Amino acid sequence: MYMANKRAEPTTMEISIRWEAQLRKGALEMAILAALWRDRLYGLEIIRFLESSSQLILAEGTIYPILSRLKTEGLLTSEWVEAEAGHPRKYYSLTKSGQVRVRQMAEVWIDFSRGLERLIAPVLQKGGTK
Amino acid sequence: MMDVAELEMKQYLVRLRVGLTRMSLTEREEIVQEITAHIRECAEIPGAEIAVILARLGSAEELAAQYRDGLLLSRASRSISPLLLLRGLWSFAQRGLLGVVAFTVALFGYSIGTGLTLTAILKPFLPARVGLWVGSGPFIAGFSAPPLEGGRELLGWWYIPTALATASVILWLTTWATRRFLSVVREWWRTKLAQSMEPAFTAGR
Repeated sequence: MYMANKRAEPTTMEISIRWEAQLRKGALEMAILAALWRDRLYGLEIIRFLESSSQLILAEGTIYPILSRLKTEGLLTSEWVEAEAGHPRKYYSLTKSGQVRVRQMAEVWIDFSRGLERLIAPVLQKGGTK
Repeated sequence: MMDVAELEMKQYLVRLRVGLTRMSLTEREEIVQEITAHIRECAEIPGAEIAVILARLGSAEELAAQYRDGLLLSRASRSISPLLLLRGLWSFAQRGLLGVVAFTVALFGYSIGTGLTLTAILKPFLPARVGLWVGSGPFIAGFSAPPLEGGRELLGWWYIPTALATASVILWLTTWATRRFLSVVREWWRTKLAQSMEPAFTAGR
């Protein structure tokens, strides 16, 4: 008789969600640092910039603790600027080591994704079967 | 009189401030100022509701925990300060058995290392009471008051370098293991944070 006392195996959807979380984990810091490559931005601007340029949609409460940690790690610097709107804004910029780090991350990411693209191209071919 | 939206925001910021009490005053106020600026800016968009803006930020307690844990783990995993390392472990210990075990092991390691160092310092002042003895029962290393009955001291003045060397190895091993453990915890924490993101990379959103 089959006993259903074994630990339930994760479903394909659960595995997929976990994998996506790992993928995001790898991309999240790089995305935030890359958003600051051209110019200094404040928190809300970074959120909007990531949304418009990469469809990377962040929960708003997620970004501020990450910015704070990246600053502690010496990758970002910040300054308060009095805005025309009446309240000050905290602008973040890349430090020298932040620039080096994001460049290294971008190179690794490109190499990695090119390799994977070649690998998965047959999987995505229209009408292709195994 | 304060309107409901303003009151909601103030209450949220009070809860955030309470959640950040273990951080320095400067860090805490800077965080609160930044979140206040975020809320005010979002509220300027026509039709925006404070309740929705606050919901998008997540609960004040969760937001405070993300700041606290992120900074503490980041600092502790790169530090060699036993105090900071133990604080990092303590914050993790409050979440489960594995953290409690890690904290206990680290505390034990630091206590033994510190204890041995203290006995090495005390040896010149209390030579008869500090040492490594063997007797009919189990051996004793460290401080004995009064001296072990019928015991034989093994190392004499060699106790000092031996105790210092052993203490250094124990302290180094405890620090190394704690930092490794906190690095793993930090990665776990980052994964957890990534899971809290909205679905991403979905083309056409």
